[in-house]
Amino acid sequence: MDVVMPQLGETVREGTISAWRKQVGDPVGPDEPLFEVETDKVTVDVPAPAAGVLVEILVPVGERVEVGTRLAVIRVPGEAMFAMRGPGARVVTLSSARPTVPAMPVAIAEASPALDPPRTTGRITMPAIPTAIARAVGAELRLSPVVKRLIAEHHIDDPSVIPGTGAEGRITRDDVLAYVESRGAASGGGEPPAESLVPMSRIRQLTAEHMVRSLATSPHVLQAVEVDFHAVERLRGAAGEAFRAREGFSLSYLPFVARAVCQAIPEFPHVNASVRGDALVVHHRVHLGIAVDLDRQGLVVPVVKGAAGKTVRALAVEIHRLADRARRGQLAPDDLTEGTYTISNSGPFGTLITAPIIHQPQVAILSTDGVRKRPVVIERPAADGSAGGETSAGGETSAGGETSAGGETIDAIEIRPVGVLAQCFDHRAFDGAYSAAFLRRVREILEQANFEAELT
Amino acid sequence: MTSSSDIDGSTRFALYRSLLEIRVVEKRAYDLFLHNLVKGTSHLALGQEAVAAGFAVAMRPDDYTFCTYRGHHHTLARGAPMVGVLGELMGRKCGLMAGKGGSMHLTSVRHGVMGSYAIVGAHLPVAAGAAWSAQYRGTDQVAVCFFGDGTTNIGAFHEALNLAVVWKLPVIFVCENNLYMEYTPIASVTAVEHPAADRAAAYGLPRVIVDGNDADAVFRLARDTIAAARAGGGPALIEAKTYRHSGHSRADPAKYRPPGELEDWLRRDPVTLYRTRLLEAGISEAALRDVELATQGAVDAATEAAKASPPAPVEVVEQDVWSDGGSAWRN
Amino acid sequence: MAELTYREAVAAGIAQEMARDDRVVMLGEDIADAGGVFKTTVGLLERFGPRRVRDTPISEQAIVGAAMGAAMTGLIPIAEIMFSDFFAVCWDMIANEIAKARYMTAGQMALPLVIRTANGAGSRFGAQHSQSVENWAMAIPGLKVVAPATPADVKGLMAAAVRDPDPVIFFEHKGLFATKGEVPDGEHVDRLGTARVLRQGSDVTLVALAAMVPRALDAAERLDREHRISATVVDVRSLVPLDTQTILAEVTRTGRMYTVEENPRLCGWGAELVSIVAEERFYDLDGPIIRITTPHVPLPAADALEDHAVPTVARIVDTVVRTAG
Repeated sequence: MDVVMPQLGETVREGTISAWRKQVGDPVGPDEPLFEVETDKVTVDVPAPAAGVLVEILVPVGERVEVGTRLAVIRVPGEAMFAMRGPGARVVTLSSARPTVPAMPVAIAEASPALDPPRTTGRITMPAIPTAIARAVGAELRLSPVVKRLIAEHHIDDPSVIPGTGAEGRITRDDVLAYVESRGAASGGGEPPAESLVPMSRIRQLTAEHMVRSLATSPHVLQAVEVDFHAVERLRGAAGEAFRAREGFSLSYLPFVARAVCQAIPEFPHVNASVRGDALVVHHRVHLGIAVDLDRQGLVVPVVKGAAGKTVRALAVEIHRLADRARRGQLAPDDLTEGTYTISNSGPFGTLITAPIIHQPQVAILSTDGVRKRPVVIERPAADGSAGGETSAGGETSAGGETSAGGETIDAIEIRPVGVLAQCFDHRAFDGAYSAAFLRRVREILEQANFEAELT
Repeated sequence: MTSSSDIDGSTRFALYRSLLEIRVVEKRAYDLFLHNLVKGTSHLALGQEAVAAGFAVAMRPDDYTFCTYRGHHHTLARGAPMVGVLGELMGRKCGLMAGKGGSMHLTSVRHGVMGSYAIVGAHLPVAAGAAWSAQYRGTDQVAVCFFGDGTTNIGAFHEALNLAVVWKLPVIFVCENNLYMEYTPIASVTAVEHPAADRAAAYGLPRVIVDGNDADAVFRLARDTIAAARAGGGPALIEAKTYRHSGHSRADPAKYRPPGELEDWLRRDPVTLYRTRLLEAGISEAALRDVELATQGAVDAATEAAKASPPAPVEVVEQDVWSDGGSAWRN
Repeated sequence: MAELTYREAVAAGIAQEMARDDRVVMLGEDIADAGGVFKTTVGLLERFGPRRVRDTPISEQAIVGAAMGAAMTGLIPIAEIMFSDFFAVCWDMIANEIAKARYMTAGQMALPLVIRTANGAGSRFGAQHSQSVENWAMAIPGLKVVAPATPADVKGLMAAAVRDPDPVIFFEHKGLFATKGEVPDGEHVDRLGTARVLRQGSDVTLVALAAMVPRALDAAERLDREHRISATVVDVRSLVPLDTQTILAEVTRTGRMYTVEENPRLCGWGAELVSIVAEERFYDLDGPIIRITTPHVPLPAADALEDHAVPTVARIVDTVVRTAG
């Protein structure tokens, strides 16, 4: 496996190896530093991308190289000696070359002021990055006694809004006092103010930066389909209570949508990919990101790893587990990485349609919006001559106007649970027809597949 | 044991009263133990009364007494009130030190009792220092320092004797040799036969031994030695042979004594000895009886008064560490 | 003002008090004719005579015991124990007798005495002649404890100690004997139980005693110059009575406290101060309280080893830099 010069900042093009932490022949792994890189902005210890043995160092200390340059070779267990690329990745070449966007954790690492160099050493070390991530996902901040007291005295509800200038981004006493002063300065005396300043929390700031960057990177196209969730609804009605009793939470639409997406991806693998330079890296595994809202205080996207092989039930359980941990601030950095496709669920709010922003470095994101009972036109076979008004008792329907053998079809209005699935895709990776076909497949699965067996 | 006309009658009576008072109070203290009114520990001087009485009567009111934790007799002999002594033993407000010191630390500065000391030997240098002070101030006061035979084997004994001789201090060191260092016969742990007297030569001092149970003998020696010290003759070291009737302390039934030893010494009980001598000297039985009754009555009254005194108030726990009466170590 | 060495200030303080009060007398080993092994009592025999300035045998228990006996009978003795390490030879007198006499006698006894001694490391004398034991004395109820860092404080606190009606243990630092400082002319009497803020800062508070005070000041200077960390320096001066209010105020101002202690780690004087601050100013602390101490070992004799063991300016600076964020 190759070790390449990572991109440590969006505009960072090159870096200098300032130290090799391992020698040829040493075992290496993702949990310890392999080499140290100096760029204009930061100095970072970088771990090996996988566990293995360092077999070759290609770039010596002190040499300045471009991002993407091969720096070393690691032999990973199971890998042939001279493999040129990472295991299992199939490369599709595109014509246009675009700069890659760093993955979310690295983006956080770059963006977070927590990684500003401490006063004396100017070094950002690897341990700081998990801290920054932990802070970003709302994990507990380390607050000294005086800081806690001042926060309480000044009624600061969310301490993460306070910029921290202490070691590792710690909020110091002076930070709180400065924040209070600036907050106080924002409000004038006399008349009630016309506006108030709401400082952005760390999550808010990071989300904002990522969204801007994502739009700047990927040309977004929105496509949507309406899905008749009749079959899903019937199954939920039949098996929902038993499910809830057994699992401890309710079965929603989301695991069904996730399942349908996973089943459709193998036929449309390019929706599960990343753009790298002028190639499309198609991921062979589906790591499904599920956007979780944290009480309207922020958004995190924990990832269901290996979603393709999971049943509806397994997906439901895993989604529930991750959402729960997200809300309790207990996600680990690993829970947030390596997503290949994302589903954003606005359904509970009853929205009509959403154009979500792609979660870099993925190339597509699906929004599930509100499922509501709507009158829909169903074509029914006219076998018994009756017209209109009859509802078929839970029979199979097709939205495509198929006729039953030998007969005409009659248009009937039925009340069905209908929801919109809207996908935004990166037009660099594929075109509208591809996306549309994928969406059609997803809809088909949702409307026709029988997931009963997958609920136990 | 002959009567001598160099000790006048009033002195004799004073000696006997002192002997009696000590004896009756110590016995009362023992009774109060059995009634659990005296707590902790107590080291009784039953049998050693004559050393205390003999010296106390010979001392001036402004002379200094230093003694050990077995010091009730010296404290009483210098005139400290019995109610104060009994009250201190019982932890009462009327105690000499309001319950702060207890049996082992009886102190009455106004009577010249400059402390009873519970660390063996500690007070010998202190007594030397008091003597130095008297010498410096030119008051011709004398310090008399009482200690047991066991003390002669501890370092502070040596340091104090040496300094006292080198600075020629007016301090009399009096060893009350009652034959036992706590539970061990002193002879088995001492390099010389007479633990104090046989060490005097090491300091250039004469060897002085006295029958500690003969109040007259003690008084005579005390009078002469104190006079010499007062005149600037320097320190003295005296060994007084005596015996304690009870164990080392309340906890000690003294089974380590060889059979018959106690009985032998009881035959030489200093109080009964002196009573006999007074009768032989012509004092009437009635007069003696009067003194005895009066003493008994005084001890009874003191006992009741002490019993009636309330327990030491807890406020005193944090008082009198410093001379401002408080105990504050911080602002 | 006059410039005196620390050792000259000792003699000056004693002389000031002996001249003022006939009850003040001195005793100790080699203090009279020799003027003290550290030359801290030079001139006193000549000025006050052999009645008042007395050489003793090597008898620590007798020295301190005699001081106690003299103090309880009207004198004001200043007893010298040559090296503070030797307190171990006469702790009974100091801890069991002197410290407790007033309390046990319910105030009958007054003990207005001073025991002065040479404390501390830096002279390459080895483990039994280099200790700092002011924390031992601090731990005993009934003793007042002072440890001055400057010549002015030596003279002023010596006067205060002699005038104090209670027993005072006066810790001179042998490593500071040669240091110089301005001492006020005329009668100079300081107050026990008062700390001094020697430098005002805003980021951290360094609390130090005796020989650690000049090191704390040097460290504060470097912290400011090289690291833009602004440090307050407090000289504790008096362990008992303790000027808790000054220390609490200065720690509250910065929210960060460091002690600089020459005692070996366990139960150094700073441990008590840290405990007080943690209890009474917990909600004003902006970070953990750090003690900078000698490690918990006997002191080695070799110069490089001894210098490494006791907190250095570099170690103070480094500790603060590492932890002040």
